[in-house]
Amino acid sequence: MEAIKGYLLIEYSECASPKILYADSNACAITGLSGEALSAADARQAVRGIDTAQIALDAAHELWILDCSQERYNAAFDRISQENRDLRDALRAAQEENLAKSSFLSSMSHDIRTPMNAIMGMTAIGLSHIDEKSRVLDCLQKIQSASNHLMSLVNDVLDMSRIASGRMSLNDEAFSLADMVHDISIIVRPQAAQKRQDLQMEIGQIYAESLIGDPLRLRQILVNIIGNAVKYTQEEGRIRVSLAQHLGEAQAADNPANEQIWLDFLCEDNGVGMSPDFLERIFVPFERVNTAAVSRIEGTGLGMSIVKNLLDRMGGRITVESEEGKGSRFCVSIPFHTALQEDRPLPEGTVLLAESLDGRAQQILDCFRDSGMETVHISSGMAAVTWLTEAQYENRMPRVLLLGQELSDMPVLEVAAHVRQLAGREFPIIWVAEIDWAQTEYRASRAGVNAFVPCPLFKSRLLSTISELTCGSQEGLDTATGQEADYSEYRLLLVEDNELNREIAMELLSLTGIQVDEAENGQRAVEAFERSPEGYYDLIFMDIQMPVLNGYEAAKKIRRLPRKDAESVWIVAMTANAFVEDIRLSKEAGMNEHCSKPVEMERLHDILRRRLKP
Amino acid sequence: MQPYQKEYIANLKDISALIADRKPDGRSFAAYMEELYEHKRLIEEKIKRNMTLLRDGLFPLLDRLFEATDEELAQLEEFAAALLDGKNELDGGLFCQIHQALLSRARLTKNRNTIIEQLYWLGIGRNNMCSKMVGLDFSDSEAYMTQMRLCFGEAAAYLKYYDEIDDTRTRGYILRARANTALGAFKSASHKIRLIRQTLQILQDEDYQAKAPELPWDRYIYMTHQQMTSSISYSRENDMTPQDVAAIMESAHIVHQRRIQEALERHEAPPVKAAFSCYAIEYYCGLCTLAELLGRMEELMDSRDITDFSPDGMYAIISLPAIYCNYLQEYPEYLPKRREYLEALYRRIIAYVETFPGKKANEQIFFFLRQLSTTFIETADSISYGELQQRLLIHFAPDAYVHSQVVGKAASAFCAMIMDEEPAFFDDIDSIREITDPDAKRQQVLADAMACGAFHDVGKINFISLYSRTARQWFEEEYEIARLHTIVGSARLSAHESTRRYAAAALGHHSWYDGSHGYPDAYRRLECPCRQMVDVIGLMDWIDNGMHSSWLYGHEEKSFDQAVADAIALEGRRFSPLLTARLRDRTVVEKLRQVFESGLSQACRELYNVNAAPKSEKHG
Repeated sequence: MEAIKGYLLIEYSECASPKILYADSNACAITGLSGEALSAADARQAVRGIDTAQIALDAAHELWILDCSQERYNAAFDRISQENRDLRDALRAAQEENLAKSSFLSSMSHDIRTPMNAIMGMTAIGLSHIDEKSRVLDCLQKIQSASNHLMSLVNDVLDMSRIASGRMSLNDEAFSLADMVHDISIIVRPQAAQKRQDLQMEIGQIYAESLIGDPLRLRQILVNIIGNAVKYTQEEGRIRVSLAQHLGEAQAADNPANEQIWLDFLCEDNGVGMSPDFLERIFVPFERVNTAAVSRIEGTGLGMSIVKNLLDRMGGRITVESEEGKGSRFCVSIPFHTALQEDRPLPEGTVLLAESLDGRAQQILDCFRDSGMETVHISSGMAAVTWLTEAQYENRMPRVLLLGQELSDMPVLEVAAHVRQLAGREFPIIWVAEIDWAQTEYRASRAGVNAFVPCPLFKSRLLSTISELTCGSQEGLDTATGQEADYSEYRLLLVEDNELNREIAMELLSLTGIQVDEAENGQRAVEAFERSPEGYYDLIFMDIQMPVLNGYEAAKKIRRLPRKDAESVWIVAMTANAFVEDIRLSKEAGMNEHCSKPVEMERLHDILRRRLKP
Repeated sequence: MQPYQKEYIANLKDISALIADRKPDGRSFAAYMEELYEHKRLIEEKIKRNMTLLRDGLFPLLDRLFEATDEELAQLEEFAAALLDGKNELDGGLFCQIHQALLSRARLTKNRNTIIEQLYWLGIGRNNMCSKMVGLDFSDSEAYMTQMRLCFGEAAAYLKYYDEIDDTRTRGYILRARANTALGAFKSASHKIRLIRQTLQILQDEDYQAKAPELPWDRYIYMTHQQMTSSISYSRENDMTPQDVAAIMESAHIVHQRRIQEALERHEAPPVKAAFSCYAIEYYCGLCTLAELLGRMEELMDSRDITDFSPDGMYAIISLPAIYCNYLQEYPEYLPKRREYLEALYRRIIAYVETFPGKKANEQIFFFLRQLSTTFIETADSISYGELQQRLLIHFAPDAYVHSQVVGKAASAFCAMIMDEEPAFFDDIDSIREITDPDAKRQQVLADAMACGAFHDVGKINFISLYSRTARQWFEEEYEIARLHTIVGSARLSAHESTRRYAAAALGHHSWYDGSHGYPDAYRRLECPCRQMVDVIGLMDWIDNGMHSSWLYGHEEKSFDQAVADAIALEGRRFSPLLTARLRDRTVVEKLRQVFESGLSQACRELYNVNAAPKSEKHG
């Protein structure tokens, strides 16, 4: 016969005796008490001596099954009590998280509303001034900025959600630490500049610049930490970032190749800092410093949590020190494997460095220690020009001129332009500076700078740029990147009536490898172009004053030819006629640009580089 | 020189004379205008001819410069020398073009001596450009100063090979280039003085002298001392070391003694410039107080009659007052006791400027006027800064004056039409928005428009020869330099209470509405609190320029209707659509046409009246 079981529903609480909320008839029979008596009784007393088992319904209610053994009951009681405690802890954590989420939602709704307000407001303003192009442009720029901010908020939330759901995976790929640091610098520098902060980025001991890891996530970590430093540091504050490497314990310093290397990143600022309380919760999602000083700073409060999660996955570690009102210090170490890096040979000879910032100059000079190259350091532009003039006269030109961030007496690019004239096209000029190259490239290239090496400076980047520019073929160097430029697959039509000028131009062009056809007047040029297959010529250098048919007429005739490339072929006027009207006339005749005579090597090369991009 | 070169030079001189000849000389206004138009026609004819001469003569030569004969090269150099001879500038831009071409040729042919010579002359040409940049922030002129200095610096670097260069002329160029590395403005006065001191050491080195005894060493040394003494022109005591002061003191003494000696031999009074240098250095050494120095300067300024148009006279009457003002700017506590003197000083300067013979006008007086314009102090009873600028324009750049007046009148009329429809159109300007009475607001806007127009081109005073005396189309480099007139004009106007409110128009009148083109970068339309007014000035300036001065900009002279149609075509890009929309209204256009016509006539009448009026002060 099956044992009869009775059921009691008990309300359980730590501060009072368990209270029976419900008892079925079997329970009354087993205990010998009526339902009313049971509900008034102490549950434990009521079931004394009866074998029981308990099932927890939730944190505060239990279903007791009567007629169980005492051992079973005790074991179950202990287990359930523990489970209840765990549940209470989980509940508290969930409530806290919920509270943080509520606070996050409240903050986010503010943070989202702020850019959304801007988007809606600027849209309305733009619409009401639709005829004022510059006003509309201004509105669109503000809308774009607000949208970008909104997008970053959403991305943070998505990232956190991916991490929480375990859907985020890390990629392993080879990447250049130098590129990474340069990219980060470009992202954070404008933000710091906007607040007129002194952001110093220093590079310490680096064993390997080619690493294997997830560059996207590494960048996310570093940008997040530096970005926070910028955000939470007052205007004109100071932020110092340093990057170095140390070898894994079992690793010998003389054999770092393809082994584990730790990247040590430090970011310290003299910003608002954090309270000890907050410091404990810094990696909890949705937490943000919330003081009067920073109440206007926007963000999700997910950044540091994402950083911590990513670091955990990458096997890295992070420590944070901070003092309210004084600033913060973040130390991150991440292990990476090293990728093979090919060392390019360096030439023998001298490097002339022109830089007035002593610290920067020393850093550059240090790169040449044990390189086999001699260095000469000069701090003014005038001294550099004097040194080069003497060196040229004495046939002891340096292998390369490195122009630094600043000179004591004049702008760097003015010196570059003059040295280019003085030393000729083949002399390599490298600009080593902490600037946004994309913003300066055009001016620098026009001034004659061959290549750019960004700061914070990486030795391998500097030495490989010098190697590229000075070793092997010197012909056809791409002035913007320092890459060797090969123009041999391109064809140029040189139209010039003066034989000597033609000879000089041919000589200059021959250095670039480009294939050159000659025409001695405009008519011959038109005929040569007509005869050639479509797309045959990539460039035409056209003299203006020529017998039979002048350059203007020739250009017009070429443009009128019934073939596709007649419209697109790039025609450069080469003339001594330097009036603005002459430039206009050449453009009206269909020519694309103007190059004044006597033709300078650098100018020719500049045109090839811009137009042909090998 | 070749015939085309001689003709070009002759044309330049003729054009200068025609520009300078603006005195009515008792003629009626109608006759005056008739002659003015005739002069304009003649000038345009000569300009066209000059362009042809360059196209047919010079440019083909530059085109085949590598095979030019020695004779052709020598003629070319002679031609260049006539364009800029140190005292007079006939065509500084062309001078630079020629020497740039000759330098490129020398570099390619690797001719050391020619490289040195051409670097020297190109440096001289660039120095001439730099001298026009007085009053600009160093950051705006630094690139030009650097280009000049690098030319001299490279040439001076050959000093190391002085022994092996057996050509005396080349040695002379190297030494002069070495001295000229100290020309122009420096970030630090001490740097400049150190360079001059080093040059003096080189020039006084007997070894160098013994190897080229035929060089004019005495003159080189004396000129370098002069260069040293001119370093004291402005008060820079905070920037000079005791060694700097000692070096200047020595140079000032040498120059002063020599000038006194020379003056005695000529039975003339000692030159003012040398005397001032001595006084100034005594002040810097603590041998006299600033009050005493100012008193001595007053004596020096008063010592010259305003009919003295010699270089020293110009210095005493225009440059020294500029330095005097500079001291008062730096030490305003000395101003109250000198107000009356300052006011009288300004009256003398105006009288001097107004009687200055047009044909004598040269870079030297323009340079001194730039100095004065930069340091001018406005007092309650003095001539206002704006009035000074107007007088300078009338006398030295009459075309710019007429253009500015026409733009002001047209802008005022255009603003009146805008306010008829939209009384609050200019309420973006705080001071206008605050005016509640509609009539008062309207009057203020119209007055502002007139003044903004009248002052929008004051920066051109820095580049008088470029605007008024360039007898050909500009080269690209000259366009770049001319663009600085917006920055210098704005800087000057904003430095004075009476003209501050017109500075934005000076800065922004060449900007584009959509920001895609135009200049200067310093003007950001959307950040300008009076951009609507600046837009108006920009539009009127563009229309007037289209109808005149077309040769300068390389396009055909436009009719008024064509200029208006072209402005509408640039709607939303160059010009504000809020303004060009009004140009579609025929009534507005007809009114503007009348204003442009009558404005030109009125401005010429004003010019006539000013030039015809008897000058009150003929002596100091």
